Amino acid sequence: MRPILLQGHERSLTQIKYGDLLFSTAKDHVVCAWYSANGERLGTYNGHQGALWTVDVDPTTTLLATGAADNTIKLWEVRTGRCLKTWDFPTAVKRVEFSEDATLLLGVTEMRMGHLGTVVVFPINVDVDAEQADEPLFTITFRESKATVAAWSYLNKFIITGHEDGTVSQYDGKTGELIQDIQAHEPDMQITDIQMAPDRTYFITASKDKTAKLIETNTLRILKTYQTDTPLNSAAITAKKDFIILGGGQEARDVTTTIARQGKFEARFFHKIFEDEIGRVRGHFGPLNTVACHPQGTGYASGGEDGYVRVHHFDKPYFDFKYEVEKMAKA
Amino acid sequence: MAPPDAVASRANWADDEEFDDPSALPPQQVINNADGTKTVITYRLSENGKKIQTTRRIRTTVHKEHVNPRVAERKEWTKFGAEKGHPPGPDLSTTSVGENIVFRPSVNWKANAKEEDSPESKLKDQLKDKKVACRICKGDHFTARCPFKDTLPPLDDVAAATAAADVEKDLGADLGGKPGGSYVPPHLRNKGARGETMGGSGGGSRDFGGRDRDRDDATLRVTNVSEFANEEDLRDMFERFGRVTRVFLAKDRDTGRAKGFAFVSYADRSDAERACAKMDGHGYDHLVLRVEFAKKG
Repeated sequence: MRPILLQGHERSLTQIKYGDLLFSTAKDHVVCAWYSANGERLGTYNGHQGALWTVDVDPTTTLLATGAADNTIKLWEVRTGRCLKTWDFPTAVKRVEFSEDATLLLGVTEMRMGHLGTVVVFPINVDVDAEQADEPLFTITFRESKATVAAWSYLNKFIITGHEDGTVSQYDGKTGELIQDIQAHEPDMQITDIQMAPDRTYFITASKDKTAKLIETNTLRILKTYQTDTPLNSAAITAKKDFIILGGGQEARDVTTTIARQGKFEARFFHKIFEDEIGRVRGHFGPLNTVACHPQGTGYASGGEDGYVRVHHFDKPYFDFKYEVEKMAKA
Repeated sequence: MAPPDAVASRANWADDEEFDDPSALPPQQVINNADGTKTVITYRLSENGKKIQTTRRIRTTVHKEHVNPRVAERKEWTKFGAEKGHPPGPDLSTTSVGENIVFRPSVNWKANAKEEDSPESKLKDQLKDKKVACRICKGDHFTARCPFKDTLPPLDDVAAATAAADVEKDLGADLGGKPGGSYVPPHLRNKGARGETMGGSGGGSRDFGGRDRDRDDATLRVTNVSEFANEEDLRDMFERFGRVTRVFLAKDRDTGRAKGFAFVSYADRSDAERACAKMDGHGYDHLVLRVEFAKKG
């Protein structure tokens, strides 16, 4: 497979969303939209004043939400790049996500300058001309450890949060009450990514403790553990094939002191069920900050500390690969 | 009479090179084959002015793909932001295609990956069968790493050295160690014994006295040696007459080729005499060898 390299950013990537359009955010102040089929840039969303941390698009590709270090969440019209709404916060926004039906938007704010970390939930009207609410429906405030990532469960039933201390918590999606939490990863090892499976009944977490875990949404039971030899920044579940893609590598600040090979700047593929590592894809010059899979399972994209997005369209060997037991089960 | 514009459009006869220029290229030919393929024949000039014919067979296949109508609609969107007004199609400043990556998932990919990469390990594999033998103690390390390198002379010199041991004793008494005798500077000691030995076996000057002198008695100087000669061949040739203790072939330091002369030492002087008689005038490569006893300095 021949990756397409997207060089729209001058600084390290922070998050990408991948479908037929690809949205990328980086620590420079622009959001880019690309056609993933050929790597053509559709446009940029200009207006943020600080490093961008996160991006999400609603399921109908009408609205785009971004969170940035200029303490705002902005809502954009995907098609034209017009800014529809800006919400201001006391601290930086580290993660935004639309719910499944795009009626709700959550944002994770940083704990800093005397402010506690929070998750805010806004009602969204999926119409580019509609007026959006100014005030959040509810706010979850974290007294102990701040949340770094969050995601919606199926039917907006829960909000799942990943924390700096390695815990994963489950909050009620309607009221914001804590239901339960578990110590999913090593204590004091930050959870760096949460991505939901297509049906949102389970999700994957990536952590600095060098593991990724597959966790059930309802019970927070840990289903699978994927062990690697490097701190992880991102994890994605592939559609169509039962694989997991993990991205990570040496801490960005240590990169200058290591050579590329030792840095382990590769996307790692694991089998979702057997927990075996089945391959690696190299290419980045820095750690992978974010990986994303195509909803149809035709490819994946990775964004690195090196400022590149690499879009990969899988070829035949990927789709043909099966374990012996899988082949036998089919026969 | 031709209409005036037709006259104007006709090229000047001086520009028309079609019939006198041999480098004129025939036009491209397209042939539709019976099996649905197309054959395209094109001509071009190569760098050195040669005519090159390129024949390509092309099969056109139509791939139909059903795309979600909303995805198809999104492909028609006009560009905005930094891309506003840019023509459709990828821009080379933001989009490029990377190197091809071979990605084959496999259960034991780790084992496969190890075989594929790391040129160092390949080199190690190549050298695995090569045996390293120390010239001093015959151990499996390089001579330079030998633990005995400062205490023992090279092994093949030892035989000669032991034979010469008593001679050396006498010499020592004669020259350096003679009680009451006048001082002899080191470079003058054994002067007569050193002879025309080139190089020795590398750093052999430690005790050049007896051993080299002894060897010189049975050392042949071979000249008019082909520049493609090597020491093994010479050794093979001269070993027919007796045990050869040393073969030294002078080589050019830069090119590595033989300089045209060599020294062959025998353990026994009688062997050397026989070899000298037989090999003088012997043909080797394309030259006739000249063999004589090495002169003593």
